Amino acid sequence: MLKTFKRISLGASTAIALATAAFAGPYDEFAGTTLVVNFPAHPHYNAVMKVLPEFTKETGIEVEVDQLPYMKMRERQTLELGQDEGDYDLVAYVVFSKADYVYADQLENLARYFMNPKLADPSYDPDDLIDGYVYNIGFAGGNKGYLAGKTGSLFGVPYGSETSVLGYRKDIFEKHNLAVPETYEEMLDIACKIPQLEPGMGGLSSRAASGHHAAHAFLLHLAPLGGRVFDNSWNPIVNNAAGVEAANALKTIVDCGPEGAASFGFGEALGSFLNGDTAMFLDTTVVAGQIDDPKKSKVVGKVGWAMHPMGVRRGSQTGGFGIGIPKNAENKDAAFLLMQWLTSKTGDKLTALAGGNPSRFSTHADADVNAKFPHMSIFGEALKHADPDWRPIIPVWGKINADLGTTLSKVLTEDLDIQTALDGVAERAKGIMDEAGYYTWQ
Amino acid sequence: MIKQKLNRFTPYIFMAPAIIIITIALLYPLGYMVYGSFRAWDPSQNISESEFIGLKNYITLFYDPAFRESLGVTLTFAICVVFSELVIGVGLALMLDRNIRGMSVLRTLFILPMMIAPVVVGLMWRYMYHPTVGTFNKTLKSLGLDGIDWLGQNALLSVIIADVWQWTPFIFILSLAALQSLPRSALEAAKIDGATSWQQIIHIKLPLMMPVLIVTALLRLIDAFKVLEVILVMTEGGPGLSTEILALRISRTATEFRELGVAAAMSNYLLILLLILTVSMYAITRIQENRAARLARQIQEEY
Repeated sequence: MLKTFKRISLGASTAIALATAAFAGPYDEFAGTTLVVNFPAHPHYNAVMKVLPEFTKETGIEVEVDQLPYMKMRERQTLELGQDEGDYDLVAYVVFSKADYVYADQLENLARYFMNPKLADPSYDPDDLIDGYVYNIGFAGGNKGYLAGKTGSLFGVPYGSETSVLGYRKDIFEKHNLAVPETYEEMLDIACKIPQLEPGMGGLSSRAASGHHAAHAFLLHLAPLGGRVFDNSWNPIVNNAAGVEAANALKTIVDCGPEGAASFGFGEALGSFLNGDTAMFLDTTVVAGQIDDPKKSKVVGKVGWAMHPMGVRRGSQTGGFGIGIPKNAENKDAAFLLMQWLTSKTGDKLTALAGGNPSRFSTHADADVNAKFPHMSIFGEALKHADPDWRPIIPVWGKINADLGTTLSKVLTEDLDIQTALDGVAERAKGIMDEAGYYTWQ
Repeated sequence: MIKQKLNRFTPYIFMAPAIIIITIALLYPLGYMVYGSFRAWDPSQNISESEFIGLKNYITLFYDPAFRESLGVTLTFAICVVFSELVIGVGLALMLDRNIRGMSVLRTLFILPMMIAPVVVGLMWRYMYHPTVGTFNKTLKSLGLDGIDWLGQNALLSVIIADVWQWTPFIFILSLAALQSLPRSALEAAKIDGATSWQQIIHIKLPLMMPVLIVTALLRLIDAFKVLEVILVMTEGGPGLSTEILALRISRTATEFRELGVAAAMSNYLLILLLILTVSMYAITRIQENRAARLARQIQEEY
């Protein structure tokens, strides 16, 4: 009797175990795991913080977030990724870190995770991710080493993508019967008309401070005006006619901008627009939330959005953040599940509704998201023209970018001749590229 | 015999902990920096994986116009701030070296700027210098004057003013302490001989304060060469390279350019510069002391 009972019990428990295994969810194996992730202090990731409890509720995986200012984040990651065993399971990285991390073999190639049937969600729909960002932020080893191409592969997924759009004061434009600029010529013309039409108001607020800010502002104009920093053989061409035109555009914008514009960093440029001191703002989409926040903005409800004006082509910036799994992470599979969940259609929409920047076409077109943020459809349209090659993503870019930024600052503040300044940048860039081995095959 | 030998080693045994601590805490990091400066070292690499390149980093820097400009800015900044702080700090100390009611409150108020975190100082001055909403330009405009482009056209002057505001109290309190410890007999003798206040300052107070002033100036000079946060927050080194002092360039070279070897070589140049300054200041003091001693001997011999 006892034997029969034992046999029945054993059979029953085996059946239950088998049934559990057959119906086990993809997250069950990882329930109770705690992931340590490194995110920046940034509006998009502040929105992510609101969404993470939902992930834990659904999967049972706990997430501990180390949120740092983004420049500090890079320093911290440089130290962490170099260790044999790192603290982070998932990191958000700025786009220009991609080259450094991939080149130093510190990020996991994502192919083997997307190939793993137990981890990869068939409904993920990678084609819905915005192309420009996938190539700009996640892809490495393709054309030029950092663009799309047959030899490349995926090391990260865009999350917190930004592009450039033109914000303009609807009230001022209506008052003076101005048409929203569609080309560079129109934009520069209006930028210099505004101070005459509205005394005390600047045309367009732009970053221009020495270093990264001035270089960023210049590159924003370089791509649409038909320029590039390097040709296909890595020769600097920043000093060609398009380069000079882009620097001229920047100088015109600063000269017709608000008082003290030459020393504006991103914060001051945005502050000036939020304060109502300028009629236009050409920069990242991430500011939309602040412009609609009455605590921070004096121009709530007065701002319209348009595509980044066209020069000889459309070419808005690609920036923001991607997320990747460090090579030295402890819980790589669980980290992939978090990465996949956050960048899935559901995760992207939840983050967008919490105030983040979506990375999918479908989220930009989503009715709920558009009902809450009406500008999202224009941002989605702008993203179709996001240019992944608007600035080079190579390991020596930091040094060239700094030189470009300080030299342009001299153009803006000391009236250094533009052609002479850019010739100097090109010459020094050539030296840096030569030393880094970019001309070995020439 | 063995006991005697052991006894001879006793002082060394007692000194050993201190020597070990100094070696670990001071010489090891310094040696690490010197070692790193001879290598092409990227932050993603372990130092042992980096390539040995000899003096290349030093030679590249020597011919690098940006480094030389940065060195020039550092020297201008350091000399201007230390000179201004000395003049204002010692001047204030001379004026306040008397029994005034509420002196202790006044002294505390004077040293408040020193207690503020440098990042806060940078932010505060950056907003005060703001072209439209800043305190200075608002005041100038309310007086009917034109605003000044503080952080644009006058960036170096603006950061010098901020540094002088923060660090003059340091010189002030040390000068005041030096003044109050001067021998009263010398001052009384001068008064009896009919010396004016100005003569007392030039011929008695300042010469007697000189050793303290030299050390104070040296400390400030070393600090001025290393100032980073205030300038980083106020101007980020711009416009152009006009306020990019060496400490800022070292930080950018290590983090933005990712060239740890070059940053280490730059730090060594800065270290050598500071060593030369320190040694020459001590040499000047030594020469002055020797001359004073010689004069004193001559006077004694004459009488």
